[in-house]
Formats: sequence, structure tokens, C-alpha cells
Amino acid sequence: MDIKSCMKRNVFYINPKTTIHEAAEILVKHHIGLLPVVDNEGIPIGVIGMRDLLKLELPDFVNFVADVDFVHDFGAVEDTRPPAKTLQKTIKSLMRPVITAEEDCGLLRAYALMLQQNLHDIPVVSKEGKLIGIASRVDVGSAILSAWGKAE
Amino acid sequence: MSPFAIVLSTIVFFGSLALIFSEKVNRSIVAIAGSMLMIIVGKILGFYTEEAAIEAIDFNTLGLLMGMMILVAMLEPTGFFEYLAVLAARTSKGKPIRLFVLLGGITTVLSMFLDNVTTVVLIAPVTILISEILGVSALPYLVAEAILSNTGGAATLVGDPPNVLIGSAAGLSFNDFLVHALPIVLVSWAGALFLLQYLFKKELAKRPRRSKAVMKLNPAETLNQPQTARKILIVLGGAILFFFLHNSLHIEPSLVALAAAAVALLWVQPDIQEILKKVEWSVLVFFGALFIMVGGLEHSGALSLVVGLFSKSSGISPVLFGVLIIWIVAALSAVVDNVPITIALIPIVKGLGETGMDVGPLWWALVLGAGFGGNGTIIGATANIIVASLSEKTREPITSAVWVKRGLPVMLLTCAIASILYALLYRWL
Repeated sequence: MDIKSCMKRNVFYINPKTTIHEAAEILVKHHIGLLPVVDNEGIPIGVIGMRDLLKLELPDFVNFVADVDFVHDFGAVEDTRPPAKTLQKTIKSLMRPVITAEEDCGLLRAYALMLQQNLHDIPVVSKEGKLIGIASRVDVGSAILSAWGKAE
Repeated sequence: MSPFAIVLSTIVFFGSLALIFSEKVNRSIVAIAGSMLMIIVGKILGFYTEEAAIEAIDFNTLGLLMGMMILVAMLEPTGFFEYLAVLAARTSKGKPIRLFVLLGGITTVLSMFLDNVTTVVLIAPVTILISEILGVSALPYLVAEAILSNTGGAATLVGDPPNVLIGSAAGLSFNDFLVHALPIVLVSWAGALFLLQYLFKKELAKRPRRSKAVMKLNPAETLNQPQTARKILIVLGGAILFFFLHNSLHIEPSLVALAAAAVALLWVQPDIQEILKKVEWSVLVFFGALFIMVGGLEHSGALSLVVGLFSKSSGISPVLFGVLIIWIVAALSAVVDNVPITIALIPIVKGLGETGMDVGPLWWALVLGAGFGGNGTIIGATANIIVASLSEKTREPITSAVWVKRGLPVMLLTCAIASILYALLYRWL
């Protein structure tokens, strides 16, 4: 089995000129966690995840204090929003490099890739490198587990 | 002594210093290479030997630093530093000026007995946490912590590496520091605190948006190893008691520190590999290598040449000479590391003492200049670099310009206070 058989074909994506605010709206509207960023040819050039956007609001101390368990009330940071200027920046300034799987990528290979690179979703590309789908850990994992019943 | 030896040893020393200050190569690497070059040149020209190089190393300084490093390394994971900062936040009830004084005070007291850098490394993250949940800028608190810990560190024998060096070389006891350095430092520290409050008055006047949030912080939860913390604090208390007595008991401070480290290690029995990893070996190696280089300068006769120059200009009064030392050493320490400056100046002051000059007061001038000078610039002291690089990872980085605006006035004020008190205290000597 390859990843093409379990991926979602209806994939939402954006272009590098999309603003951070618009990207957030698309994530919210479709209740998804990752948006591939594609160029004019439909080739993925980066990704923007929900965690990248949330990082804009996360307080700085979370990076410095190993255990925030003793902070029972985050106080002022709970109602701090990123400045409007930041939200109007294009996604190009925030996006991360993309790791993709080719459509004929095996399921275990895809899962191992996601595990090691700490990806929750992986964009799938055609032989020509164009974005054709996206698969989550649950998509890939379910496809692997569903084969257990057919064993022997 | 041959002029050739003097010239070559001076070139090796100043060449190494220049490379250290250029920050192109790591300072410990430069020091190791420089010290080896000094020995090789010394062997070829016949002014320095391996034995003389070993003798030049002040093991008392290294032992004292290492003992304290081990104790701090053991105290660090217990959460004691975080505990104190959270306690300060609660005690302040979220009032900025109170928080400012409390955090500054805690950092100062800790850095009077422990390494400044460790203190700041552990207090600064919690400071960022507290100011973020309060909804105020962390900048005034971070700058004040670095500056006040540098200032407070000048007060005791163990507070700052230059003090350890000077104390060991001049045979000054822990109590000598309490009598001569502490009073001047206390007055200068109070001046620094008032000036910092004035310079940050706009930031500190801003009312926190959520002062109640700090009341929900629970200090006890930050103390993740209370038993271990208690043991190490008892040992540390014992060590401080012996520091008071070391002179009358005729024991070196290094023995006190290393014995305390041994007792703490036996009592707690931590993972020794982990503890030794946290000891700052690069600092110890840097010191050792600098000692070897300065030893070469001494043996080649270069230092006695400088001493000769200084003693010829002895027309100026000793008090004025001391005040000059405060300002010159402070100015140098503001732009470069104060450790090499101190190590290089120690044999010169010693040499002046051998010519019959009363150098007792000069040692204190050196302590004050090296201690206060680091506040002047963002690179003047390691504590400054630490808070600056930490703040770079936040939304509100401390820039060099910010530091010049807030730190430089403090440096000038503390040096001025120190100069006036110094002149008053040593007028009759």
C-alpha cells in the first residue's frame, strides 16, 4: 500500500503572499492544523502549521522555564494578542521548509518520516512534484492497522 | 635580564590579550596557546621553565572558584533560585517598584556569595515569567539584576573572580573585604539602585495589568528537591561561617570552599558526572593559563620595568593614585574582561609594594574599579551578556544602546561614590 491510497485529496493550500491573518482564518474555517504553501506551478515551497501561528502568542517564558506547572494563572499573557502589524505580514516570513512524500511512498516509510520529523500531517506530491494531497498521522496509521485483520 | 626576553614575553602576552579581546577565537583556547608559547619562548631564551610556570599558577584562586562552582552546580537543580524569585514576586504583591527592589536585592545577596553568572542565569528566566504574567516590561528588572549583582559581587572575597584573585595575591581575608570593601560597596549599591529606579521610572510607573496572577504562583512548587536544597544551604552556611574565621584559623579560603564541596557531595551523593559537567572548566583553564603567561612576564623582567616606570611617577599622592586606579581599571573593565586586567595588574601593584610604597589601599581601588567597571557596557561583564542574550530571544531585546543609557550612568555614579569614599577613608594613610 502506498500513501496515495489513504491521503486526503481535498487539500487546502495557500501562496506565499497570503497574510498571517488570512492563513489563521483558513485553519479555523476548515478546522485543520497544517497549510502547505505552494508556488504558481503548484509545487510546495513551505508549510505553515497551527503551532507556528500559536507561537506568536505564546509567552516568552515558556521557552526559558522547563516546567510551567507552578504557574497557575498566566495572568496578562492570557489576553495578549499578537500586534496587528505582525498579522498583516505575509506567510513567507513565517513559513517553515516543507517535507513531502511522493505519491508512491510506502505507508511505513511515511509514518517513520512523520515520527522522526515530528510532523502531524505530510503533504503528498506527484511525480512532477506538484501538491496532490495531504495525509495525517491518523490517516497513515489507520491504513497500516487496517491491514492487520487481513493477515495470513 | 635581556631586553630580548622582555620584548618577546610582552609580545606573547599582549598578542594573546588582543586576540582574546577581539573575540575572534575563544578566550580559553587563546590562553592555552599563549601560555604554552610563553613557556617555549622562556625555555629558549632561558627566562622561564616548566617548574616556574607551575609555580606561577595560583592554586588558591582555582580551588576557591572550583569549590564554589561545585556547590552552585549542586544547588542549581533544586529550584532554590526560582523559589526565591517567586517568593519575591509574591511578597511584592505585583507592585513594580517593590518587585524591582526585591529581585535586585535577592540577586545581589546571592551574588555576594555565589557566582554572579549562575545567579543571573537562574533568576533571569523567572524574572521574564513574572513580568509577562504581570503584563509589564521585563527590561528594567533584567538590567537591574545584572548591574546590581556586578556591584554587590565586589563586596566580598568570594563575590567575584577579580576579588578572589586580589584576595589571594595580597593575602586579604574574607573579613578584610567586609571591613574595607563592603561599606563602600553598600553605599555605591544603594546609589546604583536609586539611579536605576530613576532611569526606569517611566517603565516602573506603568501599572501591571494582572497583579493578582503572581499571587497564584506557589513558591513551594518550584522547589523540586527541598531536602537537597536544605542540605546544600546548611553546608553553604557552614562555609560562610568558616570564611569569617579562616584568617584566625590560618586556613586558606580555597580549603574552606573545597572542603564544603566535599561535605556537600558526601551528604547529597549526587550524580558526580552531572555535577562535574556543570563546573566551568573553561573558566578555570583560562585562569590557569593567564597565571602562566603573567608568570612569564614576571620572570622576563617586563613587569619590574613597568613597576619602575610607576614608582618614578610617585610624585602624585597615594590617594590620587588609588582614585586613578579605580577609574582606569573601571574604564578598561567596561570594554574588556576584568579578569586579565586584574591578573596583569596584581604583580605590578605587588612590585610597587616591594619598592616601599604602601599598596594596601591600592588593592581596594583595584577591587572597586574591576567590580564597578563592568556595568558600563553590555559586554562589560558576563552577567550583562547573559541577560542580553536571553532577552534577544524575547519580544523585547536589550540593545547595546539601551545599556549605554542605563548602565553607563550607573557605572559613573558608583565609581564617583567609590572614589569619594576611598579618598575620605584613605586620606590619613
